[in-house]
Amino acid sequence: MGGLQIPLEHVLLLAATLFSCGLMGLMLRRNIIFMLMSLEVMLNAAALAFVAAGARWQQADGQIIFLLILSVAAAEVAVGLGLVLQIQRRFKTLDMDQVNRLRG
Amino acid sequence: MTVADFQALSPLLVLAGGATVLMLQIAFVRSVSLTAALTVLTMALAALSCVHAAQIAPLQVTPLLQADSFALLFCVLFCIGGAATALLSQDYIRHHGDEPEEYFLLLMLSTLGACVLAYAVHVASLLLGLELLSVSLYALIAYPNKSILPLEAAAKYLVLSGAASATALFGFALLYAATGTLEFTALGQQLDNTQMGQSVLLVGAAMVFTGLGFKLSLVPFHLWTPDVYDGAPAPITGFLASVAKAAVFVALLRLFLDADLFRYRILVEITGFLAILSMLAGNLLALLQTNIKRMLAYSSIAHIGYLMIIFMACITSDNRNLASEAAAYYLVAYTATTIAAFGLLTLICAHQVERENVELHHISGLFWRQPLLGGLMLVAMLSLAGIPLTAGFVAKFYIFNAAVSGHNWVLLATLILGSGIGIYYYLRVVYYMTRRLEQHHVQPTVVVSWHAKALSCILIAGILLLGTMPQSLMAYLRSIL
Repeated sequence: MGGLQIPLEHVLLLAATLFSCGLMGLMLRRNIIFMLMSLEVMLNAAALAFVAAGARWQQADGQIIFLLILSVAAAEVAVGLGLVLQIQRRFKTLDMDQVNRLRG
Repeated sequence: MTVADFQALSPLLVLAGGATVLMLQIAFVRSVSLTAALTVLTMALAALSCVHAAQIAPLQVTPLLQADSFALLFCVLFCIGGAATALLSQDYIRHHGDEPEEYFLLLMLSTLGACVLAYAVHVASLLLGLELLSVSLYALIAYPNKSILPLEAAAKYLVLSGAASATALFGFALLYAATGTLEFTALGQQLDNTQMGQSVLLVGAAMVFTGLGFKLSLVPFHLWTPDVYDGAPAPITGFLASVAKAAVFVALLRLFLDADLFRYRILVEITGFLAILSMLAGNLLALLQTNIKRMLAYSSIAHIGYLMIIFMACITSDNRNLASEAAAYYLVAYTATTIAAFGLLTLICAHQVERENVELHHISGLFWRQPLLGGLMLVAMLSLAGIPLTAGFVAKFYIFNAAVSGHNWVLLATLILGSGIGIYYYLRVVYYMTRRLEQHHVQPTVVVSWHAKALSCILIAGILLLGTMPQSLMAYLRSIL
């Protein structure tokens, strides 16, 4: 294995940064599309951490989990976009604060 | 894979095969009664195949799944819970959805996810089970298309549950980076000889716990619970509160036991602290509700708090068998009771298209108008409150016992205090039900189909039997642990 080696800590730090960005976006954004995108960023940050960890141990497991997370995220977003369509049709807005009918 | 492997996995295979058959059936003939019948039949078959699979348990099938008696017991529970939900939903979904057949397909997939969680001993199977369970639940919550509340509830649940999954996964990634294995048992063995700092491991374990705690709606991760329970269709709320939570709890308990995360004293103390918060917050907030669904949502938070006592009781290793026995009994009793309580709400809501919620005054005098439904709710409420002769009493006594032998006095005091508060709001429901009605205040009679009546009788009998003759289940639990 020649070439540039990236230390595991750096990748984990990057993943943690991405994860926090996603979490911040999820909490601060009110538009449901942006919330779904932030969710995707969080899931992919976890997936990146798995790939980096797999590379450290020279195992394929990390990449397999990455593939699983990819498909799970796709399934989640598919349902999410279905909901987005319904919300747009019923409420004529994608702002979650205006959608809020349930108190609490 | 050998024949024994297939036999051990037969409940999962039956459910997955059943889901395929159901999909084909819907593609060719659209008929709600046929789909519902097939669903119930498949789940009964899956439950029966657990008995068959128990002959060769415990057997590890691939590194992913472990078919032991504990997993099979919960598979039976989840299949019965799923079948009961399917039976209860039939009338409800006919009135609330345009094309109700796919509802049963999603319910079956969700049950399959719960069963996979019960088997899971590897991060990959945990991830797949958890997501199969949650993704089908998003669609199930949003299923009734004649009112707008389910839509909002589903959007909230999707966003928060997705964030919880991502958090748990990130935690697992950190644990994997430190230990180099994804199997729970091997993970536990590697934890001690890792070169990375203890803080990374602790952060990883805490993130896993946070992610799964969100799904269990522990305080302070409980804010979604009342809204989602309120907006979701009543049968699905019952499923969410019983089967989905029990499945996540089983997976979490197995992770802690197999990987021996109890060695992180601070983590376990945090679980104990969250248990206290959940018991107090759940019970106190439930006092303020007049909407029965929201009240049950807060009561479920309190019940998960009672269950979390198990984690503190597990610290001393010789107490673990008693603690897991208590957890198993509690989950069985709690699932039966919750399905009974939400079953009644389902039957009441079944013909009201626009309204999802049931207020206290809607059930006033129910006991005199419809004794069977009143009896179902009475038994469910008494069991939730932990009154003797019901399943809830024995279950709470079990938890009490585990806490005493673990010397968790603070938790024990909170348990007693919480149960005391609980009695008030559970009995308030009973009080409303037994009120004599004035003539001008007549509620419409609920039409109940014969299978719902039969199911109500079975649930009442089951809860009372678990409460009066718990010996056989107790003996069975003791023999498998």
